[in-house]
Amino acid sequence: MTGNEVPVIHVVDDEAPFRRSLLFLLESMGWTAVGHESAEAFLLAAPSFPAGGGCLVLDIRMPRISGLELQRRLQAGGSPFPIIFMTGHGDVELAVQAMKAGAIDFLQKPFKDQLFLDTVERAVHISCERYLETCRHQEAQQVLERLSVREREVARLLAQGLANKEVARLLRISDNTVHVHRQHVMEKTGTGSAAELARLILRADPGGLD
Amino acid sequence: MSLVRLSGEFPDAALLESGPMNSPVARFFRRLLPLLLLFTAAVQAQESVRIGVLAWQGLEEAEVHWSSLAGQLEKRLPGKRVELIHTDLAGMAAALRARELDFVMTNPGHYVMLEAETGISRIATQVGSGFADPAHVVGSAVVVRRERSDIASLEDLRGKRLAAVSPDAFGGYQVIWAELRRAGLDPERGQVALQFTDFPMARVIDAVRKGEADAGVLRACLLEHLEREGVLPPGELQVVAVRSTSSPCRVSSPLYPGWAFAAAAGTPPALARDVLLALLSLAPDATGSSWSVPADYHAVYALFRELQIGPYAVLRETAWSSLARRYWPWLAGLLCLLLAGGAYTLHVEHLVQRRTRELSRALDERHRLEATLQAGQQQMEHLSRLSILGELAGTLAHELNQPLAAIGNYARSLLRRQQRDQLSASALQQAAEEIAGESERAAGILAGIRAFARKRARVREVCDMTELVREAAGLMRGMTAGGPKIELVDTLPEQQRHVCVDPLQIQQVLLNLFKNAWDAQQGVHVEAPIEVTLQVVDTTCRIAVRDHGVGLAPEVDAHLFEAFFTTKPEGLGLGLSICKTIVEAHAGEMGGQPAVPGPGTVFWFSLPLLATSGAVSGEEK
Repeated sequence: MTGNEVPVIHVVDDEAPFRRSLLFLLESMGWTAVGHESAEAFLLAAPSFPAGGGCLVLDIRMPRISGLELQRRLQAGGSPFPIIFMTGHGDVELAVQAMKAGAIDFLQKPFKDQLFLDTVERAVHISCERYLETCRHQEAQQVLERLSVREREVARLLAQGLANKEVARLLRISDNTVHVHRQHVMEKTGTGSAAELARLILRADPGGLD
Repeated sequence: MSLVRLSGEFPDAALLESGPMNSPVARFFRRLLPLLLLFTAAVQAQESVRIGVLAWQGLEEAEVHWSSLAGQLEKRLPGKRVELIHTDLAGMAAALRARELDFVMTNPGHYVMLEAETGISRIATQVGSGFADPAHVVGSAVVVRRERSDIASLEDLRGKRLAAVSPDAFGGYQVIWAELRRAGLDPERGQVALQFTDFPMARVIDAVRKGEADAGVLRACLLEHLEREGVLPPGELQVVAVRSTSSPCRVSSPLYPGWAFAAAAGTPPALARDVLLALLSLAPDATGSSWSVPADYHAVYALFRELQIGPYAVLRETAWSSLARRYWPWLAGLLCLLLAGGAYTLHVEHLVQRRTRELSRALDERHRLEATLQAGQQQMEHLSRLSILGELAGTLAHELNQPLAAIGNYARSLLRRQQRDQLSASALQQAAEEIAGESERAAGILAGIRAFARKRARVREVCDMTELVREAAGLMRGMTAGGPKIELVDTLPEQQRHVCVDPLQIQQVLLNLFKNAWDAQQGVHVEAPIEVTLQVVDTTCRIAVRDHGVGLAPEVDAHLFEAFFTTKPEGLGLGLSICKTIVEAHAGEMGGQPAVPGPGTVFWFSLPLLATSGAVSGEEK
């Protein structure tokens, strides 16, 4: 977590009184809680992912767009929000479906407040990690995007642990040229060694060294 | 007899006729023969006319008295031999019954008795000398010795001895008997001591003269006759209570018709006519008596009736035994009839009682059955409500959990904030309000369910139909989370939405229909709302619930309202049948048919509308 950013929890439940009680509970933890009366309302609001992390608490049974449907649409749109489902009695099958689709957890109503808060906290934590991961990835990509095409080639080979001479031979260029490229790459990426360079490339693209 | 004799003559005649036929002598005889025969027959057939005569003064006296009459009659009846037969009272009746008499002569009393007994009919009435009217001839005189000045009237005879010839004597007793009764003295009750001397009547005079009796009853004119004859010194006996009558003699009684000359029932009318003509042509006899036209004997009948004797003797037979003896067949028959009638009445009564018992038993049985039926129906309605509850139980639990969970959340939130010293006044107020609201909501749901599930007696309340439907829809939404939208199309005017119903039962029907509609739509995942239409049809309010399910299979259609018919695996099949029962118990109708346009089904029911006070409904009363 960076700075003092407060996590934001979104609650989507058509049952207003219960939704309000959850918001009240979440606010007790010092979090920001936002309620949505339906899936459509949430989609319409389209909240950006908060810097302090956050998660989505979804009622699995809702009129029109159900919780599962919302999960599917969010994932399709690459939403970073971890999802916790609230299910009623006898909705175990739906819950299993939701877990398979990538939900963090599901809570069967009625649930203990502590379990709910723990689950939310865990989801927030996961969201923060994910957020951090995403930040690093984007940062690495941005760094790498500053390199020219030839420099990116040189950097990938260097990251794989090849010496300057081997790179010159593979690329059929002179050793001196490779040396110049290497200096530019190190300067642009701010890395001091081949190992650091390798870490940067992997962060930008986990399959970048294959 | 005479016929045999006549036929006996014929062989002679035949012999004569079979002689030489052509001689003048023979022709003379042949002409003479019929005359000869007739003459012979007339001589041989000389009939006897038998006349019975009552010998009231004894046989000898009678023969002397009537012999001249016989001779005179015979003279006037050519070819007839008049035979007088003297009898007493009983003997004459017996002779008449034996058809031994052609005519009778007897006193008026006896005549009346014989007329009634044997059917004789009078042809003439005797009139004494000095009498003008045959209807007033016979009377009686009560005589006493001259020195008995203590007896001046009939009333004075009380306790005295009275001599008379015979209780059967008309002029000799019965006439005076009646007078005594009229004077308030009844010899039958011993108020006068009677002495019967028997015939002849002279014995009565003897008894009075000898002092054996204080008084005596004589036939009118006998006293005068005896005095004239010199048999009795004039004035020795005197008549008591002399009446002034048309009689030349002193009498103590009214006068009755004279002696009757009557023809027996079997006497040929021609003979009776001949005898009558002869009688009327007779000159008065030695005593001055003659025969006249038959008188009216009504007075005699009246006398007999008064004394209850003769033909009216039956009147005095008042004793039960005599009545029973006389009428026993009738009595027996009557008794049998009464018994039969009684038995029949008893039988009928018994039958009526039995039928009544049976009927009342049947009625009781019917009432019991009705009670059982009603109890059963209520039981079934109850069961149906429970089954609906059961079917809704899952969502219902969820529904109840919502407010409870919310309350829990608020409470714990408050605790957490308290622990973190972050409990603001506004937060506390918000939470408290929410908790109160949610607890009320939960209580409301529970109350609804309890009222719904409770067994209850029938009630009827005036309800607003629109309100009922709204409430039911609300209850449906409350029971089913994520349930369908219920769209209400209400076209009921303000004045025409009141019904007299059991609101809970009608809500049960509505809930059933909503639940069915929802179930139908669940199957096909249709999100269209359930459409509920309220409209006025004639004098009823029609509520239709339309779903957008797949509709009903035709084979299902026929069994829709049958009990225990269901298409749902967990259903009891009571819902619609109970609904129909409820609606019909409210004088309504219920039905279901495919929706147009399909797919889907419309279930509807109608209830009679109440004409409210504000309405100008013509149907009111």
